[in-house]
Amino acid sequence: MAVSNFLSKGSLLKQGAEARVYRDIFLGKSTIIKERFPKKYRHPLLDEKLTHRRTVQEVRSIQRCRKAGIPTPVVYFVDYTSHCIFLEDIADSVTVRDHIVSTQHQSHPSPTLEHLAPLAVKVGQILAQMHDEDVVHGDLTTSNMLLRRNGDVEDASELSLVLIDFGLSYISGLPEDKGVDLYVLEKAFLSTHPNTEALFQKLLESYTASSKKSSAVIKKLDEVRLRGRKRSMVG
Amino acid sequence: MHTSHQLELYPGQTVTQVLFKCVRNSADLRKSAMEGKINAALINPKMLVDPFQVIVAANKAVHLQNIGKMKTRSLYSEILFNLSPTNNISEAFRRFGISDADDAVLVVLVATDDESQTLADVTEMVDGQQVHVEELPTLSDVTQIRKLYKVTPQEEKIGSLLDSVVCKMATKDVM
Repeated sequence: MAVSNFLSKGSLLKQGAEARVYRDIFLGKSTIIKERFPKKYRHPLLDEKLTHRRTVQEVRSIQRCRKAGIPTPVVYFVDYTSHCIFLEDIADSVTVRDHIVSTQHQSHPSPTLEHLAPLAVKVGQILAQMHDEDVVHGDLTTSNMLLRRNGDVEDASELSLVLIDFGLSYISGLPEDKGVDLYVLEKAFLSTHPNTEALFQKLLESYTASSKKSSAVIKKLDEVRLRGRKRSMVG
Repeated sequence: MHTSHQLELYPGQTVTQVLFKCVRNSADLRKSAMEGKINAALINPKMLVDPFQVIVAANKAVHLQNIGKMKTRSLYSEILFNLSPTNNISEAFRRFGISDADDAVLVVLVATDDESQTLADVTEMVDGQQVHVEELPTLSDVTQIRKLYKVTPQEEKIGSLLDSVVCKMATKDVM
């Protein structure tokens, strides 16, 4: 009750199919609030169960990633009755998506790859680290990665990248699941950013070099590319 | 000297923190608190990184009280419990409550509207020197905190110790 009153005064940033995202001052800090609202098209019992499970899963994955040194926002508070997660607002950041788009605009046509290569390397490294912890993100897109703005950095190690939106994440050690995770990113990456095949290749190379278990995952990725995300149900 | 924070989710409720050093009557204070004579949480500052940590715990306590889902019997014991990274109530009291030998204490009050009366009452009971709450970090035992919250070196590379501690507190009920 208190939470919904609070949210009604906050500023809505984004609304998706699964949740609404607000920004407000909470406990004296700028905070992002992710509210999983009830879905009226589902049976109420099922809806409650699914929503609760996703909220819990998101919180767990964030904590698991942080523990392993993968940058994700700090969780300040979780309300399991209204299914709201109160997260650290990553100040002064842009989504990787916006960053790539604006870089492509500024420096067309060819030097794009050069400018963005350190970023691709960094993304590859972080994803490798995440998969080595057996966290599968489930919704990898360039919109779900934030880049802290700290000048024009050329070196990959100095880029500050934060992964967000673990709503569809789960824990799995299977190369299959990690392969699909990368496949989803590849699809999203190449459709949001046309003519970046070389850049994505760079990302994969970096992933392969950093992950201890990459060979099985890349092999699966090649398999998944041929058949699509869903596994064949034959046999 | 003291700090107050009005809870955004429960605008009528204010969390006030008062810090004391050179406390001589910890044993009496602890006894009175356990008998319910003190309407405040008495916290051992050694395990606190920053006043923000207490606000996070107090917010959660007030929220759980409002929805009737507290794990302990009172709002103030719930604050102590919420500070702990584990779900063990007696361990939380042992780690975060004051013990007879302690010479510093952080007094935390949660009050509706005018809290000045209780604040004065509690301040009077403490035989010690009141210092600014901002001095809290100088009293923390960082080594013990890292150990208790199991903060890994990798984790401290991506954020502050406070970040790690707060995140652990907020996520403990589903881990």
